[in-house]
Amino acid sequence: MAEIKLEKLTKRWGDFIGVDNQTIHIHDKEFFVLLGPSGCGKTTTMRMIAGLEEPTDGEIWIGDRMVNDELPKDRDVAMVFQNYGLYPHMTVYDNIAYPLKVRKTPPQEIETRVAKAAEQVELTEFLDRKPKAMSGGQRQRVALARAIVRTPLVFLMDEPLSNLDAKLRVTMRAELKHLSHELKITTVYVTHDQIEAMTLADRIAVMNHGVVQQLGTPDEIYNNPENIFVASFIGSPAMNLIQGSLLDGWFVTTGGTKLTRVGGGDKERVVLGVRAEDFIITDAGQGDIDVPVYATENTGESVLLTIQFGKQRVSAKGDRHLDKKIDDIVGLKVKPEHLYLFDPVTEKRIRPGQ
Amino acid sequence: MTGKQKKQFWNALQVILILTAAFIMLIPIIWIFLAAFKTHVDVYQLKVFFTPTIENFGTVFESPYHLGDKLYNSTVVAGVTVLFAIPIATCAAYSFSRFSLTGEMTMLVMILATQFVPAVVIILPFFVMFRDIGLLDTRLGLILINLAIVMPFAIWMIKGFIDGIPIETEEAAMVDGSTRIQVILNIVLPMAAPGLFTAGIFCFILAWNEFLFALILTNKDAVTLPIGLALFKAEEGDLWNLLSAAGIIIMAPMFVLALIIRKHFVQGMTMGAVR
Repeated sequence: MAEIKLEKLTKRWGDFIGVDNQTIHIHDKEFFVLLGPSGCGKTTTMRMIAGLEEPTDGEIWIGDRMVNDELPKDRDVAMVFQNYGLYPHMTVYDNIAYPLKVRKTPPQEIETRVAKAAEQVELTEFLDRKPKAMSGGQRQRVALARAIVRTPLVFLMDEPLSNLDAKLRVTMRAELKHLSHELKITTVYVTHDQIEAMTLADRIAVMNHGVVQQLGTPDEIYNNPENIFVASFIGSPAMNLIQGSLLDGWFVTTGGTKLTRVGGGDKERVVLGVRAEDFIITDAGQGDIDVPVYATENTGESVLLTIQFGKQRVSAKGDRHLDKKIDDIVGLKVKPEHLYLFDPVTEKRIRPGQ
Repeated sequence: MTGKQKKQFWNALQVILILTAAFIMLIPIIWIFLAAFKTHVDVYQLKVFFTPTIENFGTVFESPYHLGDKLYNSTVVAGVTVLFAIPIATCAAYSFSRFSLTGEMTMLVMILATQFVPAVVIILPFFVMFRDIGLLDTRLGLILINLAIVMPFAIWMIKGFIDGIPIETEEAAMVDGSTRIQVILNIVLPMAAPGLFTAGIFCFILAWNEFLFALILTNKDAVTLPIGLALFKAEEGDLWNLLSAAGIIIMAPMFVLALIIRKHFVQGMTMGAVR
């Protein structure tokens, strides 16, 4: 049981900045997700917590210990790697038992603990196999079992699901969630998959260029993005970002279309963020504006329309029974309570009253 | 001819060509093999059918040839060379593979570059040095020379095998609670074992067949098998039957070893060589 405190943590390789002076506090028993595109510093941050990477600057605290100078083995963490990092020359049993063996746990206890861990990830019948003879999902379970066989202070998971196929990923995601609920151990989870982040996390830190862009609950991240990066990174399809200006409280697109009222004031350049599901698709003439359909995609659960919006294209999500064809004219309305205004220069959110 | 017959014809032709080529290449060895079982008189006739004798294999171990001593020398020299070469090379290879060392590439190239120097160029300095420090005609001297010869190969080869081990496996072991030494002993060595084995046999073959240094640096006590072959020159000419018997004794272990490692050999060579 431990909280993790990263104080002004920095990692540089020569001129390249991996993690830039970040302070993050991860609460005890929290499932904390580091989310971001590749190269954003999320994995580096995790590797510094594990002790596999040495910070250039700053402090790492696990519980009440400053662990900067401690070897990985002394930090009392367990880690699950993207490509599992199993020991191919050992059986599944020996793989799971390794962390206990190397810490000189009594043989009797090793046996019971391995049996329990194997049961938790449903591997009991495979204990005699070598990793080579197992599928990707099973290997991932072995890696998980090896992590949970001990009771570490912290779990670290580095994109543990990204090598699995889509279907298995969804199943394993649920299993992970169940497992973390059962174990109640502080977990840091690295992913570039926003759905994984949204579904698993208690709190998410969205990172880019070595800097945390926003830190909050999945709900806050989704519904209250701080800047353009967070807004466009979270959500599928990505949030529509419409260039335009603010004229007496109305948002006017660069093409000159007056779209909707978003607050007060004038501003020469703003970006309006609208999620696809926050558009209401109506018949022509019944919305705020009429626009032609550029493409339609039926995903089964809904129909996604790509709409030619002046010079830009936006996507709008409609009911699955929506029957529109390419070049049809549809009406578009926005839900005013779900609009986001951003400053195109600073890329920061412009909040009403600012 | 139908398509199937055509294919069979080409396959047969291929086999015949390969066998012919192999036969041509193996002629000297076949000749030696036959000669080893012939009497001194029979050797000079290209008879394929003759009454075989195994007398030659006895004679070479007797006085004045004492091939047994040379066999012992060769075994000790090659064996001890491997015994030292592999652990040392493994340490070096691990460091090269896993740590970023200053001047890493330069060092690696220089290690390999020692192999570019023709042996004849450095053999006289070696002779003089060995004479001065009393290593001439000693097995220890030969072991040192052979170590210098096999180490570059061993380091490059083993580095290739260690490079092939995913770094995550080692990192996992470290997070799981191992020290660096435990990682090497518990994870790296077992995983690289086939590579170490292959490298060991490769080094053994190199040391076993080493000729030039042994020729110059030994004359009596530390003479190895390849040099021992020169013994079979007598007043009545070259004793080809004895020479062949000794040749077989030298080659036999190499054939066995080659069979053992043939599976790993190509892989080991390319893995070490390409990087």
